[in-house]
Amino acid sequence: MDSTVVFQTVILGVLLGGQYALLASGLTLYFGVMRVVMLAHASFLVLAAYLAWWFTTSTGLDPMLSMAITVPLFFGLGVVMQRILLSRLRPATLTMMSCLLTLAIALVVEGVLGFLFTGVQRRVQVGYGSAQLNFFGASIPVVKLVSFGLAVFGLAALYFILMKSSFGRSLRATIQHKQAAQLVGINTDRVAGHGFGLGLATAAVGGTALALDATIFPSLHWYWIGPLMAIIVVGGLGSVPGAAIAAMILGIATSVLQIPMGATWAQTVFYLALFATLLFRPQGFFGGRLAQRF
Amino acid sequence: MPSASETDVMHRLARYAHVLRMGGVSALIVIGLSVPSALGNPYLLSAAVVILNYALCATGWNFMGGFTGYISFGHAAYFGLGAYGTALLINRLDLAPFLAVALAVLIVSVIAVPVGFAALRLRGASFVIGTIAFVLIILLVFQSWNSFTGGSSGMEVPRPFPELTRPEHHLRFYYLYLGLLAFALLLWWLIDRSQFGLRLKGIREDEDKARALGVPTMEYKVVAFVLSAAFTAAAGGLYALWFGDLDPVFQFSILLGAYMVLMALVGGIRSLFGPLLGAVIVGYALEYFKLNYGDTQIHLAATGLLLVLVVLFMPDGIIPGARELANRHLRSGQTSIREQTQEELLAAQRSSGPEPPSQPAFSATVNGGRP
Repeated sequence: MDSTVVFQTVILGVLLGGQYALLASGLTLYFGVMRVVMLAHASFLVLAAYLAWWFTTSTGLDPMLSMAITVPLFFGLGVVMQRILLSRLRPATLTMMSCLLTLAIALVVEGVLGFLFTGVQRRVQVGYGSAQLNFFGASIPVVKLVSFGLAVFGLAALYFILMKSSFGRSLRATIQHKQAAQLVGINTDRVAGHGFGLGLATAAVGGTALALDATIFPSLHWYWIGPLMAIIVVGGLGSVPGAAIAAMILGIATSVLQIPMGATWAQTVFYLALFATLLFRPQGFFGGRLAQRF
Repeated sequence: MPSASETDVMHRLARYAHVLRMGGVSALIVIGLSVPSALGNPYLLSAAVVILNYALCATGWNFMGGFTGYISFGHAAYFGLGAYGTALLINRLDLAPFLAVALAVLIVSVIAVPVGFAALRLRGASFVIGTIAFVLIILLVFQSWNSFTGGSSGMEVPRPFPELTRPEHHLRFYYLYLGLLAFALLLWWLIDRSQFGLRLKGIREDEDKARALGVPTMEYKVVAFVLSAAFTAAAGGLYALWFGDLDPVFQFSILLGAYMVLMALVGGIRSLFGPLLGAVIVGYALEYFKLNYGDTQIHLAATGLLLVLVVLFMPDGIIPGARELANRHLRSGQTSIREQTQEELLAAQRSSGPEPPSQPAFSATVNGGRP
């Protein structure tokens, strides 16, 4: 194997891993604040990608500008969804019911997208769409760099919100121990709603990044559910840094294995990592003490 | 306490309950057998076969979900493996159609043993994620392994009765499904009444306590899991013979697994006929949406909305809800502890537990009055 090719795939793997990391961080937030397995995350990702595509085709502006609308919109949607739907579920059956409920939301989103935009595959056209950048012999498509940049920007914003703001402190406290958080005066219900909104806002950023370098269609979200769930389990349910590390490792692994195995078989890496984790270390590899409770 | 007349009503009801139940079951059998002659056209008959297929899947699923409380979203895997197993055995080994179904069910049961031992170590969210991932990886394998499974272009299965016309074909499969469903229901009923079933329910209510009381929880769960997988696989095998064309995307779909959960939930997972009732309602709705809105993707949205409504407003299902309503009116005071959930027990405990110390003066006098 040519070393340049390997180098290039590793770079592409890092870029892919960045995207996965951003998306998986959203899933981790939902699970952290509410113990909810959110199957609709990927469908909102596709929704955001469609909104970006629609924004670009109707205004001619860069798809990234659509985030000015989609990020606050998705934050609001997330809060509303948590407040009026998920918080109504009974705690004893939350895991199973939340799966059904979020799957239902995913179906509604997919159905409405298919109804409004038909099943035709769409692609955002941008000026730098076919440009390549030469990086130490590896040629990297500019759109992938831009969407990686978006993912890094999203993750950095999330990091600062979680680590530096007082809302982030309340959120982390709610994830770590809900009752203890209530005892120190945190309104955990409201924090859970905002945490949900924050998770969905990451889907808005991720969806815009997705629209830049992929062809989109309404049923695309099914392809994302598996890998994203694998990442949050390997990283340790509820741990944002764990999810980011797992996303990076698995992103690079699939990218490199694509050369000998082909694109489809390389996807099995996610599931094999998931099953291995569930069998030998169900609490995940980077989750630490928190994840052991699940 | 119930009054004298109420006790009288209760006794009379108890005496008649047996007769009523037998009558209900016979009515159900008569309805089941006479549906085909009531349905005029072949389309409706094929829809009835689809609904029976769902009913068999949901009842099969309920061996796991109903008794042990483990909610698997991945039973589509066993449905698809049963269907593909049958197709592969017929196409590659030239086996007789129904022998192929039986063998496919056996193979799936054998596969389900190690999968069960692995998956049932997990609980809650991890279990759900594991079952979903199992469907996804099998989907990936069946889509990609072109030379063996036919890949994304699918696989055709020769008709088992080439001499029959299409309506006759539907009719025969209607009765085949009905027979298998009756067998599944009978087995569920027998387990429900047995000590084995009681122990499985113990696992559902509190697995750790059941284990502490000496129930070999892992082995019991695996038995329920394998039974459940076997019935789902049988439904898949019959489906392969009936429909004659398999596509990995539809056979191994999370959606199919979610439908099984939804149907069992709509009817009520703790009752024998719950999944069947749910399959009739949801299956009818699905067919209706597909027929009327199938041209656009909006039928998916309609299915999603139905799912949302069930989860939000009918999480316990129709049969337990109706039974509770009947109990409240007819047999006040009589409760069945066995069917109470942890949550209900907790709620009852809370409401009958010590009052919150809102009246400190009262508690002070109580304490003061005792030496």
